[in-house]
Amino acid sequence: MIHQDHSVELRPKLVGKRVKRTEDPRLLTGVGQYVDDMAPAGMLHIALRRSDQPHARILNIDVGDAFSVPGVVAIYDASDLEGEIKPAIPASRMPGYYATPIWPLARGKVRFVGEPVVAIVAESRYAAEDALEHISIKYEPLPFAIRQVDAAKDDAPLLHEEAGTNTIIRREFKRGDVDAAFEDAAVTVKGRFRMTRKTAAAMENRSYLAEWDSRKQSLTLYTSSNIPGVIRDVLSGCLDLPGTRMRVVAPDVGGSFGGKGSLYGEEILVCALARKLKRPIKYISDRLEDLSATSQAFDELIEAELAVTKDGMLIGLRADVIGDVGAYSIYPWTAALETVQVVSFLPGPYRMEHYRGRIQGVLTPKPPTGPYRGVGRPSSTFAMERLIEMAARKLGMDPVEFRRKNLVRAEEFPYRTASGIIWDKSAFQECLQGACDHVDYPALLRETDKARKEGRWIGIGLASYAELTGIGSRISVAPGMPINTGTETSKIEIDATGAITAAFGISSHGQGLETTLAQVIVDELGCKLEDIEIKHGDSSLVPMSSGTYASRSAVLGGGAATLAARNVKAKVLRAAAYLMEQSVEDLDIHDGIVTSRNSNLTMTIKEIATAVYTQMGRIPRDQREDLTASETYDPYLGTACSSTHLAMVEVDPETYSVKILRYVVAEDCGKIINPMIVDGQVQGAVAQGIGAALLEEIVHDDQGQAVAASFADYLVPVASSVPDIGIVHIEADLPNNIGGFRGMGEGGTIGAPAAIANAVSDALSHLGVSVETLPVTPERIFQMLRSKIRPLDASPQP
Amino acid sequence: MNRHAGGTKRVEEVSFAGEVADDMKPAQFDYIAPTTIDEVAAALAAAEGEGKIIAGGQSLMPMINFRLVKPTILIDINRVAGLDRIELHGDRVRIGATVRHHMTAADAIIRQHLPIVHEAMHHVAHMTVRNRGTFCGSVAHADPATEMPMMTRFLGGTVIAYSQRGRREIPAAEFFVGSLVNSLEPDEFVIRVELDAMRPDAGWGFEEFAKRHGDFALACFATTLHCVDGMASDVRVGMMGVGETPLRLEEIEGIIEGTDVSEPVLDMVADRLAGILMPNTDIHASADYRRHLSGVLAKRALRAAWSRAKTKGFKHNE
Repeated sequence: MIHQDHSVELRPKLVGKRVKRTEDPRLLTGVGQYVDDMAPAGMLHIALRRSDQPHARILNIDVGDAFSVPGVVAIYDASDLEGEIKPAIPASRMPGYYATPIWPLARGKVRFVGEPVVAIVAESRYAAEDALEHISIKYEPLPFAIRQVDAAKDDAPLLHEEAGTNTIIRREFKRGDVDAAFEDAAVTVKGRFRMTRKTAAAMENRSYLAEWDSRKQSLTLYTSSNIPGVIRDVLSGCLDLPGTRMRVVAPDVGGSFGGKGSLYGEEILVCALARKLKRPIKYISDRLEDLSATSQAFDELIEAELAVTKDGMLIGLRADVIGDVGAYSIYPWTAALETVQVVSFLPGPYRMEHYRGRIQGVLTPKPPTGPYRGVGRPSSTFAMERLIEMAARKLGMDPVEFRRKNLVRAEEFPYRTASGIIWDKSAFQECLQGACDHVDYPALLRETDKARKEGRWIGIGLASYAELTGIGSRISVAPGMPINTGTETSKIEIDATGAITAAFGISSHGQGLETTLAQVIVDELGCKLEDIEIKHGDSSLVPMSSGTYASRSAVLGGGAATLAARNVKAKVLRAAAYLMEQSVEDLDIHDGIVTSRNSNLTMTIKEIATAVYTQMGRIPRDQREDLTASETYDPYLGTACSSTHLAMVEVDPETYSVKILRYVVAEDCGKIINPMIVDGQVQGAVAQGIGAALLEEIVHDDQGQAVAASFADYLVPVASSVPDIGIVHIEADLPNNIGGFRGMGEGGTIGAPAAIANAVSDALSHLGVSVETLPVTPERIFQMLRSKIRPLDASPQP
Repeated sequence: MNRHAGGTKRVEEVSFAGEVADDMKPAQFDYIAPTTIDEVAAALAAAEGEGKIIAGGQSLMPMINFRLVKPTILIDINRVAGLDRIELHGDRVRIGATVRHHMTAADAIIRQHLPIVHEAMHHVAHMTVRNRGTFCGSVAHADPATEMPMMTRFLGGTVIAYSQRGRREIPAAEFFVGSLVNSLEPDEFVIRVELDAMRPDAGWGFEEFAKRHGDFALACFATTLHCVDGMASDVRVGMMGVGETPLRLEEIEGIIEGTDVSEPVLDMVADRLAGILMPNTDIHASADYRRHLSGVLAKRALRAAWSRAKTKGFKHNE
């Protein structure tokens, strides 16, 4: 243990401070380095011909005069790569699961519009694009079912014949006797909820550059990925190269939001072709390719029903979910990531005994679904929080009071949910209260009543949720997935100049982890912020890594950094104790200076480093130790992060446009490392959630074509779509995790769609309609009001 | 491709230019930037229908980058002197071919003589687009859901086309043929659009609805009218986003003309609109919703226009 005294306690800590992001000067002045900024000598470019068919057999590929275009080097289809690579298999231990293999170019069949079929390699992207026009592909169109309900039928055309079915996933989570609970229930409510398909729409499109080093017979892939470690490990297998000859680097990355968090065939492709052609190969996707071939989100049909006692206690929940997983499994997350999380998290932060959640994951000829900020929980929270509001309304209870009754209370933690997730301890009740206090909820209700009397359509909606973040080795992030997502390594070195390098397996792509992890290290090690360089996003830094996803990096990276910094600090102090002739217990480090409470002697870390490394014999060789440490942290269970969102909206009674009047988030992410960064994450994620609630929708028409092919049709929120967002931080302590940090990068997208859906439903409540599909566009409100075919609640009042 | 590492600043710039070229998406084309309209006309004629005029490029470049349009030559008119002006000529306002949206939005003549155009400019895309895009370019692009073609149709506009064969004046009613289709001959280009200036006593209303500010309109209704002895006179009605071209709706004008623009009149307008409009269904809105929205916007615009006209109407009575 580190010796503590009052002087140490009084020293200012960086954790908890609004430290300006150290990565921003380079990113904001245009000197960041993204994949597309790299141009090694001799580099070639790829352009891809993608399928314009949703499901078809490839009969013939004719390259025509493509080679007549100056600069064209080579043209490949799947058959040219058979001997070069092995496919990636997104395996899972889930029973009955079929893992579709991942090849970079379509083999025999195409299975969605946008799937790569032919790669043209040329001296410039321009030449490659010109040559694409000469390629003609003859297809035999095959029958397909574009909607999941049709694809799930027994006689539906099969997308992958090898699977023998389109329904490649079936799971059931249950506890208790849910059907009996429903028989006993005083009140039941149900709905058929749907979050339509989304895409992550990061600012930087997916970008890859592979370099083959003939001298070392090794490959380096520069990728816009947020999981370079996972990519290294899988490519090592696909390309049969050991880790010493297969390095994956994620340089500056312009956002992911999940979309860059899986292996892509193009990553295999640039690597295979760089090795084959012995030249650097670059592929940069354009926005159309990003919208049509980057992994997409959600797209479940959730039929859910909630049973409640007459005094408003939740007793049972049952749900049947059909997930539209798209045409392929993705690596490493499998096709089950999204749908399984929906039923895992559906019971939410509530106390409830009886549960049954069933899912089917169905293949359809669309881009694969994959990680998207919030994974599963935006959909599950939308469904559950709508049910909560519907039940409260039916009981005549205030939805806040109803939630207060049912949210797990402080004394009940750790609480095992009906689906088996363990909430360690988090401020569920306090977040609800915090959001209500922030807006003066009773006053807001009065304001709403007054506005309604004037004929305005105003509504208030809440959403309370909990998510599992910083997941350790006990559970796989995706079900049955054979990769390790539960540990993170930090390697800290003080070099001979006294500079400090801290290397991680995480891969910051907008989270500001270069700043937050340095803050943690400063507090633990006692050095100066500017003396630390945080390295990340490079598979060569630590032996095993995965990356940054699933709200894990502050928890796991921060924990590993703490352990490694403590270890290095102990070594510095041992060296200092010898050099200063003091007892280790009397020494401490602050601002890079070692002081003793028994002496006026001081030494800087730089002086100690010089003594250790440079001045031979200064420290006896049996006492001399390098000022380095590598530590791995495994939080084992992971930790709950919870929040309540509250939205007040106004619906125009004539145009049906929705305007957000008030928005507040009360959240508990444990110990806050940097409040400015947490605020930024909340603001950004709520904006993204507003997009999901009101605007964004990937639409495939009945012909299987992707209709939203540009940002004129895929509508992301703009500045005028996002209101001021009030943020209340509640820092519940977390004794079991090093540092007490909880992950919080995803929460906004989880709470916002549900809160807005509830608020819009409330605003429309006098009209007898209920929001069950998001985004709730003016068109959808128009259609609901016109038909009114669905009453607020189908089940009879007892 | 030879790349030079290091070296002088000049060499770095050359290699940077090479990088940009690598990333281009369009099919190959030639480029010319003439300085007179006759040179433009000659180049366009020489292209034999395969040439495209570029001014702001805000509609053309995306189409070129998607290779939906593959011109053999781009003829840049930005260096032609004298096309970047807005002028009042009698009772007509002339807008030259290189007048940018931001110029239209800030122009004093527009603000005074065409306040409805000034208002409409608030709905035109975003700052970056407004800084480059041009009024006449948008008219030539003939998108039925954009403001400039609508204003041209609505305000009795005339498109002045030019070619080696000389000048041709095309009334807006004949200019807009279909969605993204105009009646220019292949060798003609737009040098100017002329619009009726509004009378000082005109009341006007402009209501546009889009999912996000600056997006293409789901529907838009514009009107000008005058109040003479308490009755609506000289009513004009235009719409966009609800047909293959921008619309001038004489039938609706007829319903309003001579009335007191009361709520029953507005109801009649909304009912009739639902009957005559044939909007598209797309991923953003159904035809039925657009019809509904048209009635809503019509009422709002007419109320605003009538309220403005009434305050000016009696002043006008001589």
